[in-house]
Amino acid sequence: MQLVHLTLYNFRNYARLDVDLPAGAILLQGANGQGKSNLLEAVYYLATTRSPYTSVDQQLLSWMVVDEEMPFVRLEGRMRREDGRHKLEITLIQKPANNGGTARLRKELRVDGLKRRAIDYLGSLNVVLFRPEDIDLIGQGPSLRRRYLDITLSQIDPRYRSDLSRYNQTITQRNALLRQLQETGGDPDQLAFWDETLVTVGSYLILRRLQTITRLDELVATLHPSLTGGIERLRLVFVPRVDLDHLGEGQNVAQLPLRFDPQFAQTFALPSLGLEEIAERFQRQLYERRSLDLIRGVTSVGPHRDDLRFLVDGVDMTAFGSRGQQRTAALSLKLAEVAFMREETGESPLLLLDDVMSELDERRRACVTGIIGEQEQVIVTTTDLADFPAGFPAGGALWQVEEGRISEVSRLE
Amino acid sequence: MSAIAKPVERLIEAFSRLPGVGPKTASRFTFFLLRGSDNLSVELAEALQQLHTDVVTCQQCYNIADESPCAICGDSLRDATTICVVEEPLDVVALERTHAYHGLYHVLHGAISPADNIFPDDLRIRELVRRLEAAPVEELILATNPNLEGEATAAYIQRQLAGKKVRVTRLARGLPVGGDLEYADALTLSRALAERQTA
Ligand SMILES: [Zn+2]
Repeated sequence: MQLVHLTLYNFRNYARLDVDLPAGAILLQGANGQGKSNLLEAVYYLATTRSPYTSVDQQLLSWMVVDEEMPFVRLEGRMRREDGRHKLEITLIQKPANNGGTARLRKELRVDGLKRRAIDYLGSLNVVLFRPEDIDLIGQGPSLRRRYLDITLSQIDPRYRSDLSRYNQTITQRNALLRQLQETGGDPDQLAFWDETLVTVGSYLILRRLQTITRLDELVATLHPSLTGGIERLRLVFVPRVDLDHLGEGQNVAQLPLRFDPQFAQTFALPSLGLEEIAERFQRQLYERRSLDLIRGVTSVGPHRDDLRFLVDGVDMTAFGSRGQQRTAALSLKLAEVAFMREETGESPLLLLDDVMSELDERRRACVTGIIGEQEQVIVTTTDLADFPAGFPAGGALWQVEEGRISEVSRLE
Repeated sequence: MSAIAKPVERLIEAFSRLPGVGPKTASRFTFFLLRGSDNLSVELAEALQQLHTDVVTCQQCYNIADESPCAICGDSLRDATTICVVEEPLDVVALERTHAYHGLYHVLHGAISPADNIFPDDLRIRELVRRLEAAPVEELILATNPNLEGEATAAYIQRQLAGKKVRVTRLARGLPVGGDLEYADALTLSRALAERQTA
């Protein structure tokens, strides 16, 4: 798919932007703070309805309009897919504060002019974003990795989107009920509905994560060696909180050994289970943990506790990876994701690479340059054109960004 | 000294406590009443006064009404073998608009939502079970909203009635999932009613 035209109003430092986007590579050059990352953020927001940088939509409002009566942000994208051309619109309008509360932004999503719920809007435009902060995906806690899986799968799978939202609501309700039962007693039979719902929708989340990680693991097997000159082997390991190897609570795989042991390979070569088998295990283990959950007042088992780990030659990168290794592993993951999305949807996602070159060595740069050249559409930002080979991007566009204004330049060789 | 007369300030403050009304709208309402004729203010004042004194809860279906039993429960032409369970009084209004239902109602006044501190005992569920024991019916239609809380409520009621000799049905799908009954249009609602399924 291709984003053909982008219009922004009051988005960060773009008071107004109106730009045609060509197919192939767009290299966006500018000094720090001029709006390179903001442009990628806008495209990412148009695709996922959320920002990779902030969960507070207010921050997207240009500072020039925040004091206006009803300030708004508007993003419009015209795109081309296999099934034709489409128009996407997101409008955020700030409503005046009510009863002394804080002002809230109302978000309105439209596809081809028709209002859509987020759950129906997602998946219209698919993107894969790599940014320097993605190193945290490897090095920080599991919630970032779950969020990564959720955003990836939400873009390509409508059922995943709706089951995820139902799952999260159910967890909130079940935990509240657990606390109530713990404090004031009551009939634990009230848990039945929430448990059943949790198992029904949660099992689908586990199944899709299992399938996705298995496929991404296969894809990085070829990608990662080419990024590292064949030196490193990267494996992706799904660590589900529901023990899939055992019907009941068997040994807990949540603790990975830190050094890869060939025998251990058996342990994380997870059985390829179907939905019903996963549900059976989840249900059994949820029930086994019920008395413990009642004491603690939280749900201890389920996909909200899943993790994904990265092993390089058997060593867990989260605990022991160098920054360079973590960064390369994150890049491999994102590039694998591009191929994965294409397989799943039949469309190439739009690839967004934010400052990808700055910390890479020559070999990795050459490899990334090659991959950029293969994409249907990719936007790459850089502060320094010298990070790219002469003549790059071949057949693509070179843009300069300065204080929220974009101009097309031709490159001097 | 306040720049504004006390009664005016008091009314603005009261209006702005209503859901969806900010200080601006509250001021607009207040000054509209102040500048207009006395009629509207008097009418409003009377209506507000009667809101709590002249409205009762029907002791059979727990709908809000002028008297107990309410007009629907007291109507001998209605089909007393069927009870339709709804979350809110406005849902009764929505179902009545369809003219497709002729049985009785039971209003729960909410749906189970532990996160909002609403548990089965906060709803009229016990009263429903007692009502069915006192006067058995042939069919109970669970018309709670098609969202997670509505489903939880329907599932809970169904478990309470396990073993009882009553046919329990659920409104057919086709209602917008995640929506509220009171906003469904009459045609959709009467179709959902006609195609209800055994729960
Ligand atoms: Zn009544």
